[in-house]
Amino acid sequence: MKRLKTRRTDTQFAYLLLAPSLILLLVLIGYPMIYNIIISFQKVPLNPKMESTFIGLDNYISVLKDPTFYHSIFITLVFTAIVTTVSTLLGLVIALILKRDFVGKKLVNAIVILSYVVPAICLIFAWKYIFNNIYGIINYFLIDVLKVVKDVPLWFDNPSSAFALAAIFAIWKFFPYAYISFNAILQSVDKNLYEAAEIDGANSWKKFTAVTYPAIKPTLVTVVSLRIIWVFYIYAEVYLLTTQVDVIGVYLYEMAFATHDFGKAASISILLFFLIFACIMFIRKKVFKSEED
Amino acid sequence: MKKIKRKSVKNFLFYLFVIILMLLLLFPFIIMLSVAVKVTKEAISFPPTIIPKTFSLKHFSDIFNPRIFPFLSYFNNSLYIALITSVVVVFLGILGGYALSKLEFKGKGVVGELFYLVYMFSGILLIVPLFRLLSSIGLKNSKEAVVICMIIQTLPTAIYMTRSYFSTIPKELEEAGRVDGLNRFGIIFRIVVPLSLAGLISVFVYGFMIAWNDVLFASIFIDSPSKLTIPIGLNSLFNTPDYVWGRMMSASLVTSLPVVIMYAISQRLIKSGSTDGGVKG
Repeated sequence: MKRLKTRRTDTQFAYLLLAPSLILLLVLIGYPMIYNIIISFQKVPLNPKMESTFIGLDNYISVLKDPTFYHSIFITLVFTAIVTTVSTLLGLVIALILKRDFVGKKLVNAIVILSYVVPAICLIFAWKYIFNNIYGIINYFLIDVLKVVKDVPLWFDNPSSAFALAAIFAIWKFFPYAYISFNAILQSVDKNLYEAAEIDGANSWKKFTAVTYPAIKPTLVTVVSLRIIWVFYIYAEVYLLTTQVDVIGVYLYEMAFATHDFGKAASISILLFFLIFACIMFIRKKVFKSEED
Repeated sequence: MKKIKRKSVKNFLFYLFVIILMLLLLFPFIIMLSVAVKVTKEAISFPPTIIPKTFSLKHFSDIFNPRIFPFLSYFNNSLYIALITSVVVVFLGILGGYALSKLEFKGKGVVGELFYLVYMFSGILLIVPLFRLLSSIGLKNSKEAVVICMIIQTLPTAIYMTRSYFSTIPKELEEAGRVDGLNRFGIIFRIVVPLSLAGLISVFVYGFMIAWNDVLFASIFIDSPSKLTIPIGLNSLFNTPDYVWGRMMSASLVTSLPVVIMYAISQRLIKSGSTDGGVKG
């Protein structure tokens, strides 16, 4: 009887504590989500005092007919696949190598994490300076010191080199997140398991697949799914770096705040939401589950 | 004998790897520092120099002079946004995290899932409705609009973090507080909060970092030069023809400093682990 009573007051107290957060998220995420759906069926005039008009599926149709949309989706998918895979693997490999004890471990750890902590805009200035076409140190190394190439592209001004730079930049910025996550989980792996595997005559690869991989798998799934979401919606890092990489975030932003077509922008974001939702479900169900069977 | 040799070769390769990795990762920062302390003429000369031939701290004093460089105004605006965001998020995180870690209640699972879902519908997907909504209530061209957006961006993770820190605190301590006559809020703020101070500081740092770095919402909601934050302010200067590399780099270094220091402190505190002290004492 007493137990039941504490249960009920627990529930009341829990919702009292959660109320501010839930109300905030409801008003500022839940409501905008629904509002977004409504806007996506409307033609929104530039003048905020004029009424929006309902135009049915017109926004969706015009987005789905726009070749730029497909181009952006394609670029974004390739970008997301490369950045997610490489940054996760890099973080994992570095975490595995640096797992042992050595002199200066703390300092090394801090330096590995640096690019993740420092604001993107600061890294972008460094990047732009290093790859400057006239006095950039990369060009100097490639052309004048190593003499491997005679000519280099205008790094930020053509789609392919800009894509490569943006991808490397994103990997550099994001791999520490994977590193931090794996670093934490690797410390919790039971050392006895490695010793047992060693007695059984397992080599390094065998030890990884038999002991390490099962232990880090939940972390891996989380890191990969979160990274996919973040990179898929990437906007600032790419946009500040170059105007030549048309990821979908940039397309959406420009549709809203350069073209000022809010209706179309809203319909793009609805389409993207379903796309990313499907992507995550696919990865969780197929890529990671299938290995267990 | 052979085994020892193999081990030392392995050791050598390991340290070689570490040194190369460090050089590679530090290279952009070395360049930043180098450009920040050399005179402008050297910064744009060819061939480029890594170790500066000239040395001057003029760029650093320049960026703190409001008459020639608006960095201080950007800095204050960013600080305002980041501080309010992180204080609010820590406070809401304490409340929400406590409910989700310590209380059994109906709908707990659903609430937990809800916070996860918010993750998928965040950032750029909400710019259109959030812009319309917040402009319609008069928050156009305002720092407060950015604060609101940053709070909802960071809240789900903040609650997730506090929940996991709080769940390490043993129930006995709360019981002891109850026996001492503390009410439920007293238990939260006088027992749970002090015991997870290190964790809460890292929540603060998380909120601060995200708000300090934000470009997206600041660029949507802020128009007037006096309200620009560091990232969009510096970027707007970058696009003018008369930017000075040394100032940009020194401003970047000064911008990085607070978050790097805060992050380092929070990591150190987390490692020293303040929660397990409570059971013994």
